[in-house]
Amino acid sequence: MAEPIPPIVQLTDVRKAFGSVEVLKGISMEVDAGNVVCIIGPSGSGKSTVLRCINGLVSINSGSIRVDTHQVETLRTEKMLVPLRHDVSMVFQQYNLFPHKTVLENVLMAPIQVLKRNPDEVRSLAESLLAKVQLADRGDAYPGQLSGGQQQRVAIVRALAMEPKVMLFDEVTAALDPEMVKEVLGVIRDLANEGMTCILVTHEMRFAEEIADRVYFTDGGIIVEHAPPKQLFHNPEDPRLRAFLDKVL
Amino acid sequence: MFGFDFSWLGDPLYQSWFMKGLATTLLLSVVAGILSILIGIVGAAILHFRTPFLAPFTVILIDLFRNTPPLVQLFFFYFMLSDVGFSFTDPLTGASMPVFSGFTCVVLSLCTFNGAIAIEIIRSGISSVPSQTVEGARSLGYTRRQVFLTMELPLALRMTVPLMTNNIVSIIKTSAQASLVAVTDITYYATQAMLETFLNIEVMMVLWLIYVAIATIVSLGARAISRAVRIPGYGLVS
Repeated sequence: MAEPIPPIVQLTDVRKAFGSVEVLKGISMEVDAGNVVCIIGPSGSGKSTVLRCINGLVSINSGSIRVDTHQVETLRTEKMLVPLRHDVSMVFQQYNLFPHKTVLENVLMAPIQVLKRNPDEVRSLAESLLAKVQLADRGDAYPGQLSGGQQQRVAIVRALAMEPKVMLFDEVTAALDPEMVKEVLGVIRDLANEGMTCILVTHEMRFAEEIADRVYFTDGGIIVEHAPPKQLFHNPEDPRLRAFLDKVL
Repeated sequence: MFGFDFSWLGDPLYQSWFMKGLATTLLLSVVAGILSILIGIVGAAILHFRTPFLAPFTVILIDLFRNTPPLVQLFFFYFMLSDVGFSFTDPLTGASMPVFSGFTCVVLSLCTFNGAIAIEIIRSGISSVPSQTVEGARSLGYTRRQVFLTMELPLALRMTVPLMTNNIVSIIKTSAQASLVAVTDITYYATQAMLETFLNIEVMMVLWLIYVAIATIVSLGARAISRAVRIPGYGLVS
């Protein structure tokens, strides 16, 4: 019999406090390779912090985080974090592009400067990725010249150019106009269909229901309930989740 | 014209004085200007990375040099440094010579005063770099050093071109005090010309115009730089 494949991302009793405010009060979750996991919950419930902990942007106080072969809480220096950042890419609510670099440079910089990859190889990868999100002709534009939806697609391409194993999406449509939300969600949907492991923090409940293999509901720094989307959205158990869904659906 | 006498401007002697003086003023300004920007970058980096020992030292120096008159600093460098032992005996004449020439002292005093301001200017630029840009870079594996060199510093330098221009113009104007420690800059030669011609108003008007011309050229150059480094679609520089 084949060994069961361990989950690619595993959080065990993760705790994090900013000053005296405890934001994460023991978060445990597992994400299997190729799965899409959505984290939903009210503002300030620690959703974004979970993502930032997974790629080491935020260090945790206790518990453990494993991503593939990386034991995140043991990575103390920036040099040690580089291999993790290679495997885990993040897309942000505010795009977080480099304003003084062109679209193509934004995509090329990190693979060349951080991963020391061959510039020619990265360039052809970047060009094919940009073509995939219908931005092949905007390589020379600056982020400030693009619409929000275009900027967010560039940010997704920039994250993909690291050739990650896991993609983190932090409310990536929250700052977008409604008509631009669709184009960005479309890109994420394609990624998910291609088998990319994705962890999304989102307020797009319908999208979460459609795309997720599993949905986690956080409130007050703990995971209140997690289940496949059908069950979580249509048959919620916890009263807090029920109240939340009543408000947002 | 209005009873003014500008005929002395035709005299080759005065012409050569003004040209020599102008060259010295420009050299002082260029050297001090470049050094002050370098000091600004290094100082801002020390403060940004909270370098142990150096950072508190830098803070003290900034306060010391920014809050004292540049002329006092010049006199300090010129008179004190040789008094406390920074002097050597000239092997040819046997005279005691200061290690730091008047020119060096002027450059030093301009660097300390305007360098301290340059540090603050660049630091303000760094702190106005959006935190999202930094976070984006960090999420891609950039180290703090790389973030500083590829994101924060280039953005900060772009955003502070107007402030830095003011600082360079201030250097040019302050360089006039070189004449007080017998450095033959344009102000020095202008005072010499006044002593010889007694045409105080006329000489001062010419001197004034020359400073205005230099400052104007620098401002125009800075505007061209501003335009060249402008980021399309990003509201940094008008």
